[in-house]
This record gives sequence, C-alpha cells and structure tokens, in this order.
Amino acid sequence: MSLIDLSEVSKLYGFGDATTIALDEVSLTINKGEFVAVMGPSGSGKSTLMHMIGLLDRPTHGTYTFNGRLISHMSVARRARLRRDTLGFVFQSSNLIPRLNVLENVALPLAYKGMTQTRRLKQASAVLEQIGLADREYFMPKQLSGGQTQRVAIARALVNNPDVIIADEPTGNLDSASSLLVMELLSDLHKMGHTILLVTHNPELTRYSSRVVFMRDGLIIADEQTQVGRIPALARKLYFMQRKTVDDDLAGVSALMKALSSDAAQNKSKKVKKIKTKSFKRPRKKRVAK
Amino acid sequence: MFSGTYLKLARAAIRSNKWRSLLTMFGVVIGVASVVTIVSIGEGVKHQVSEQIKQRGDDLITILPGGRIKRDHNGQITNFNPLDVQGGVSFSEADYKAVLQIPSVKPVVPFGRVVGLAKTASNEYEGAEIIAATEGVPLVLNQKLAYGSFFADNELKANSAVIGQRVAERLFGENVPLGKSLIIRDREFIVRGIFDKFSNGSAFVASADYDNAIFIPYKAGQETMGGTIQIYQILTRPTDAQHMDDTVAALAQALKTARAGQEDFTVLKQDENLALANNFLNVLTSMISAVAAISLVVGGIGIMNIMLVSVTERTKEIGIRKAVGATNRQILYQFLTEATVISLLGGILGVIIALLANFLLRIFTDLRPVVTWPIVIVACGIALIVGLFFGVAPALKAARKDPIDALRYEQ
Ligand SMILES: Nc1ncnc2c1ncn2[C@@H]1O[C@H](COP(=O)(O)OP(=O)(O)OP(=O)(O)O)[C@@H](O)[C@H]1O
Ligand SMILES: [Mg+2]
Repeated sequence: MSLIDLSEVSKLYGFGDATTIALDEVSLTINKGEFVAVMGPSGSGKSTLMHMIGLLDRPTHGTYTFNGRLISHMSVARRARLRRDTLGFVFQSSNLIPRLNVLENVALPLAYKGMTQTRRLKQASAVLEQIGLADREYFMPKQLSGGQTQRVAIARALVNNPDVIIADEPTGNLDSASSLLVMELLSDLHKMGHTILLVTHNPELTRYSSRVVFMRDGLIIADEQTQVGRIPALARKLYFMQRKTVDDDLAGVSALMKALSSDAAQNKSKKVKKIKTKSFKRPRKKRVAK
Repeated sequence: MFSGTYLKLARAAIRSNKWRSLLTMFGVVIGVASVVTIVSIGEGVKHQVSEQIKQRGDDLITILPGGRIKRDHNGQITNFNPLDVQGGVSFSEADYKAVLQIPSVKPVVPFGRVVGLAKTASNEYEGAEIIAATEGVPLVLNQKLAYGSFFADNELKANSAVIGQRVAERLFGENVPLGKSLIIRDREFIVRGIFDKFSNGSAFVASADYDNAIFIPYKAGQETMGGTIQIYQILTRPTDAQHMDDTVAALAQALKTARAGQEDFTVLKQDENLALANNFLNVLTSMISAVAAISLVVGGIGIMNIMLVSVTERTKEIGIRKAVGATNRQILYQFLTEATVISLLGGILGVIIALLANFLLRIFTDLRPVVTWPIVIVACGIALIVGLFFGVAPALKAARKDPIDALRYEQ
C-alpha cells in the first residue's frame, strides 16, 4: 500500500479572473522509503504540493489519502496531530523560533505530544548528537550559520521519528559545502528507511534521490525513477542547459521543454502528453512567485 | 495537562521582551495597586474604629440624632442606613433632660458642639473640636487623665477646660500646659486637665478624635453659645449591664415621647455601633474601589492591544509551531496563558506597590492601612480574570491563523 496517494488533486487560489491554479489535477503516489526530488520552475506549484502532502493545506478538489487515511475531510486538529506524529518539515528559511535555543527548537514537536520537559530535551539532545551539533545545543538561532540552521531544522524534523520528511528547498540559501552536509544527512535518513520529499532547483542534488518529479504550471510533467547516486538524464540535460543562461527561471522552463521534447519517446504517460499539447496551444498566464 | 509547558512558554516570551511585558501589564499594575491601597486604608480605618469602640467598653450606649436604623419588635436591627446624613438634626436640652430621667442609666453625658476657635494670647488652633460636656466624660469614654482632673457636675459653669494631647502640643506647644489659659468665643478658660493619649485616634472619623478635643463644662459652653447648644450625641451606660436591651428600649421610649413621637434618633449598643461603622466604611471603600477597578478594565484593554500586536509579530513562530503539529487549541492556550501570566504578574507588582504605598502612608499620615491576605488574593484573582478575559481575542487570532499563510509571513 502506498504511503501517499494523491488523486486528481487541485488547489485554486482566488476567484474569477484572478484565479490561480497552483495544482491542476495532480495524481501522485509515493511509497514508503522513496526519496523523491521535486523540480520545476518558480511558481510551478512545488511548495503547494509539499504543503498538501504535509497536511498543512487541503485540496480544493480531489482526494488525498495519507497512510490509508482520507485527508480531505479530516478536521484541522486531527491533521495537526498527524503532522506532529508522522511528518517532519524543513523549509528554505526561518525554520527556527528565534526566542528559543537550539535544543528547545528541536524539542518543539515533542512538547505538543505532552512529553515531559526532561524527556523531550533528552531526546532532542540525542538527535543533535547524531547530527553532529551536540556542541550547539544552547546556542540561539541567530548565533548559527545557515548550514547549521538547516541541520538543526532537520534535527527537529527528525525528533519525533516521522514517517515522512518534507524538505522544501533546504539548501536554497546554502553554499555547496553546506548543501553537501545537508544532503548527506537526508541521504543517511533515506538509507535508514525514512521517506523523503525534497524540493530543489539544483539538478545536482537529484543524485541522492530515487525518483524525480518535474512540475510546471501546477502539473506533473515528468516522473522518473532513478538510481541513487546518479543524476537522472532529464535533470542532467536541464542542469547543463541551465548553466548556459543567465535567467534561472526562464532557462529552467525552456530547458525543461527542450529536454522533454527530445525525451518524448521515453515519456509515454498519457497525462504528460495531454499536458504537453495543452500547454503548447494555450500557454498559461504564469505568475512568478519570486 | 500541558499547563507547565504553557507557563514555560509564557515565561520565555515575557523574558524575551521585558520592557514590552512591563508596559503591557502597566494598566493592571496601577489598577491593582490603587484597589489594594484603597481597600487596605478602609480596613485600617475599620480596625482603628473598632479598637476605639471596643476600648470604650461593651456596655456603652450611644444616642445619636437622625434615624439611621430600623429595628424589629425584638430590638434586632433590620435595616442600616449608613449614609443618612445628620444634617442639622441634633438633640435639644429637653431631649437630654428626658434621658436624665431614666433611672437605669448613669452617667448621662451630653456632647454639645461649641462652634469657635481656640486661642491663646499668642497662638490659635483651628483644628480643635470644642465640646461642652459633663463630669462623666472620662467614664463614658473609658479614658484616664494624664495630668490634672476633670471638672465635676457642680462646676458646670466654671471657666475650666480639659484638653487632648494634640491640643496641648499644637495650641500651647508643650505637653503639660496645666493652669494656662485659652480663649473660646471671647471667654477665657483655664486648663485643668489633660487626657491620656486616646488609643488609635483616627483622623478619618473626625468626631471620634478626642486627642484633638477641648472639653469645657456644659453650662459654660451653653453660655458661650448664647444659651442654646446643639447636642450631637449623648453617651451613657446602664447601671446594670444585664438589662441592656430593656435599657435601650426605655431610652428609645423616653426620647420618642420627648420628640413628640418622632423616631428621628438612634440608640445604639456598642456592638451595633461597631457594625454600623463597619457598614459605612464598607460602602465607602467599595464605592471608591469600584472607580479604581475601572482602571483594571483599561489595563485589560492594554493587554489585549499589545498581545494583538505581539501575535502579528509572531506570525512566523505560529506557522512553525503549527507545522510541527501544534493544534489550534494548543496555540490558543499558549497565548491565553501568556496574557494571563502577564496580567497576574501585573497584579503581583500592583500588590507590591500597594504595600510600599501603605508603608509610606503609615510614616507620613495618621492612616494605618492594613493589607490582609483576602485583599491580596482577590486582587490577584481579579488580575488573573482580567488577563484571561482580555487574552481571548489575541489568542483566538493566533489560533485561527492559517499555517501556510503564517509560514509565508514576512515582517
Ligand atoms: N496564498 C496564495 N494566494 C494566491 N496564490 C498563491 C498563494 N500561494 C501560492 N499561490 C500561487 O500558486 C502558485 C504555486 O506557488 P508555489 O509556492 O507552490 O510555487 P513553487 O513551485 O514552490 O515556487 P518556488 O520555486 O518559487 O518556491 C504560484 O503561482 C503562486 O502565485
Ligand atoms: Mg516554493
């Protein structure tokens, strides 16, 4: 049985002419133990998808089954408890509460379980140790480097031993050395059996994943199983082409399009084809988020 | 269940922004400080009055003009009217004579008000109360003289005076001005006695501050006032304390007859006198406290305001907490606890300031404020309720934030 099962899930923002389709009838199944990298240009709906999978958001249409439970009609409180018990989040930035020290930040999810303070600080301390930040326990977030901050965020995502870890551009603000540390950490977690979802703009990082999902305009336009340790062909193409141009975003789109047309033979999914024609005939008004 | 955690969160939030927290609780601090100070002043006065009343002895009977109470046929008081002003009402010579006729009371001492200023050749003192009375004053007030003697009933026309200790100090500038003369309404009186210091004399209940009194013989007082004098109270004791209730009834009957059937007077036993005084002071302090309590409401609104701002500022934090699994209810409790703790701390600070104020009042005034545990507990309880009540709106605002919007929020 799949862990995550999205069936024709849509997410719309706004009304009438101003409607933005952040997710357009997306169907996606993810099994336990997968390391899924999600790529795509800015505004393509990656974060929206992550929020949906992470139970922070509810689909406008469609059904979402998480761990065999139908989420669409679940109460706010039950979704919160499910997040607490089975999910861990790492965001691009501002992951930590500035007023709390590293240890308290890591212990945060446990507090909402009603665990005693001694126990949760002990558990948080153990995770920090595991991540190699034992000597930063009593630092305040502002005293940490970007890489350390993200590793603390991963520690927090780990502390409740979640089934799924969702990382939305965790290396977005980091240099390559720090990125490497963070990715090695996620990779270790993958090997330990955690299911990992990673949003990234850097094709290089897809080498850690077992599967790459490409998005555009709220659609999944490609979905590729890959071998861990290798950059998948599609991402590689995207990566090299992207390097030549200046504008990251537009290059991303055009590169992806080119890559897709040359790989058309490989992508036989009905959904993908449909989308291709659709998007070529009637280009969507794309809103660039950043 | 999680209250300990919420308290720790509140502590962290308050600590991280000490000045703001202090400003947030400011209104509550002022409110609690003023309510506690006023109530403790009231308690202090009550205490002083009751000391004074007890000191006079259980069997003292106080007869006052004006109908302040109603009694049922068993003589039990059914209705206090503590705010009944005695405006203009007083006893006449005839009323006094009627009381004198009752065989079961002795002595009967009229307190006649002499309007005027006490002077010496070189000084004058406006604060003194001049009372025309009879020999029984030391007996009814249960008070000894420190020096000299009180005038006897056969000297009621004599030009002699007995004074309280403050009069001695203020008018004569010495402790024992025996034999010195003072002038009241152009008549000269010679000081022949000085009272001991009266216990717990209170400036608050002016008519009972006998340290500030000048007693002159009754008839002499009458003469200086041009023949008639207003008697504002009559004090007496029963010859047999066993028959107190009968005596009170007999006094009431005699006065009613003397005043042509009107019951515009009050005969009080000492315990009733105490109850009456307490009742009056309770009404007074609760009225003033009610006004002060309005500042508590203002303080509550202050808390609400700043907490609302704080919730907006901490939107990101709320988003993070929700992402890691905090339920709306847990966020609600967090902010509610924070508001309550701030308010309660304000209450405690208010009590401390009130204690300080009371200390200063004791040093610099005649007031003897008394802070009792019930006052402190009620004040802190009210602060807590204020925090809870005015914390609801900010806490709801925090709890209802959408997690994604909150995460995306940028300052
Ligand atoms: N609260 C919102 N109201 C209106 N539109 C929104 C809202 N949130 C997201 N959108 C829109 O939904 C679309 C998808 O946004 P999303 O954040 O998922 O993109 P993304 O793929 O994560 O982009 P990026 O790589 O820049 O993070 C965008 O067009 C965005 O403008
Ligand atoms: Mg995003």
